Amino acid sequence: MALIETASLSKYYGPVKALDGLDLRVEPGIIGLVGANGAGKSTLLKVLLGLISPTAGRASVLGMDSVTETRSIRQFVGYMPEHDCLPPDVGATEFVTHMARISGLPRTAARERTAEVLRHVGLYEERYRQIGGYSTGMKQRVKLAQALVHDPKLLLLDEPTNGLDPAGRDEMLDLIKRTGTEFGITVVVASHLLGEIEQVCTYLLAIDAGHLLRAAPISTFTERTPVLAVEVEEGADRLVTALAASGARARQDGPRVLIALNSEALYDDVRDIVADLGLPLVRVQQERGRLEDLFRDAAPTAGSAG
Amino acid sequence: MTAPSRFTATSPAGNIYDLGYRHYEGKRNGRAYAMWSLFVESFRGIWGFGRPTTAKVAPFLLAGFYALPAVVQLAFSSVITQQVASGANVTLLTYDSYFPAFSILVFFFCVAQAPELVCRDQRNQVLPLYFTRSMGRIEYALARLGSLATALFLLLLVPTLALFVGDVLMKPDTFGAVGDEWPRALPAVPATALISAGLAAISLAISSFSPRRAYSAIGMVAYVLLMEAIPAAIYSIGQTSGSSWSDKLFLVTPLTSLNGAVHWFFGEKLDPQDFSGNLTSGEYLAAALASIVVMTAVLAYRYRRVPA
Repeated sequence: MALIETASLSKYYGPVKALDGLDLRVEPGIIGLVGANGAGKSTLLKVLLGLISPTAGRASVLGMDSVTETRSIRQFVGYMPEHDCLPPDVGATEFVTHMARISGLPRTAARERTAEVLRHVGLYEERYRQIGGYSTGMKQRVKLAQALVHDPKLLLLDEPTNGLDPAGRDEMLDLIKRTGTEFGITVVVASHLLGEIEQVCTYLLAIDAGHLLRAAPISTFTERTPVLAVEVEEGADRLVTALAASGARARQDGPRVLIALNSEALYDDVRDIVADLGLPLVRVQQERGRLEDLFRDAAPTAGSAG
Repeated sequence: MTAPSRFTATSPAGNIYDLGYRHYEGKRNGRAYAMWSLFVESFRGIWGFGRPTTAKVAPFLLAGFYALPAVVQLAFSSVITQQVASGANVTLLTYDSYFPAFSILVFFFCVAQAPELVCRDQRNQVLPLYFTRSMGRIEYALARLGSLATALFLLLLVPTLALFVGDVLMKPDTFGAVGDEWPRALPAVPATALISAGLAAISLAISSFSPRRAYSAIGMVAYVLLMEAIPAAIYSIGQTSGSSWSDKLFLVTPLTSLNGAVHWFFGEKLDPQDFSGNLTSGEYLAAALASIVVMTAVLAYRYRRVPA
């Protein structure tokens, strides 16, 4: 059973199409939901949560319809919003316990789960202090804790590393990774930072302007490409000319020369040409795909198709 | 795979310790329980429990002021008894006149505490956390409303009890007095319930429209002042021009209509000195009930649309 499934899901805000005929199928794992700001990530999460209803199409979460069975879905879904969502004048323990009870956990269970979850996210002595005095990193932890406290099957995180410093970011990503792998909870991480997605996710959903750009395991985005990159300290232009003369397809990219890798003999050609020209060679390596390329390459195609 | 070292006292604070994760297999209650939880949290919030000490000052001070006259009368009941015995003409506070006399203090209590209930979650954007749980928008509004009404009910009941105890103590035969007194005091209970519901509905309906406490409080004061003043002004103009309908406008007054309705429970005619116009207490009661319905609807409408 797919955890999340959408069929031609659309959400229009007046003339703005936040989601436009989105078809998705999400299997358990840690799923990265990437897209530029305004691509429709938050809108998609809100539709899945039943916070807003779609203009057209349908979505199902854990096999339940997002419009008609919202309540049943919510018992098993945790949501961490993008924005601040914590009252400043209560302690983390009190707030998370309250949220656990709103999720339906009996009083003692709510207290126990709160203590456990706060420990998981790394809040200790400070959990009795008022949230208003917390750092951004601690607030993000409380936000994650309230999403986890009722032990959801699916966790929807909207920009979980917003406003964190590099160390806090790494800790949050580590926490997300552990939630997905050790706790066995499917996590959907919406982010516009591809580096983060690459770090923690197993599967990637890329959306742009409300359309699905691509959905595939993360490894397929970063596998080797048939391009050989040769980096020289100087004379990249001379290298390109010489390579072109020898019949290879090459182009300059800053200090690097990118060559279409079509035969093993190319390595020898490159070695010989570099040696003949006496160029200071830095490195020769096969290019790996980068997530950024997805958007750079796909954006014009999506535009021309639509 | 080895887990990082755990429980080490030297680890810098903020590290994430791996103690394993346990899934929750226990009971999950439904929306009634969620509403009850929110009701309890709201009720505690109104009185400042679980909040900093400063949050307790306003509610307890205002509640204290409201109860003070009745408590003073209770404290001096023995003195009053002597005075009455010596033939002095003493005017005592009564169940039916207490709220009308001091209603402004109760209104201040609402101005101070109602915005806290509905603005805080809007201002801090906590609402999405509620609405993505087993808590609907209308249920949220009703739980908040119920908690304010309950808090007001208790607040209003304390002086009534003080008056009751005082009246009983003033009688020579205490046990007989309880029997004599309680039928006179009893109408105060439904009257108090009506006032609580009425004030709670008005206060929350108006407060909920702004995420800022100050604006909500100003909105409440402005609403009550205008709705009290405009009918009175039109009425006085209508009197001079011989209008027959302008007294009906008093039905929209928030506090006056509650005051008038209180007298219905005690089966009294309205004193034209306190209540201008020719309206009966029954008409005021109907107006108060209608106001509860309308204001609750306004509150529900607001929460259907409030952004989350």
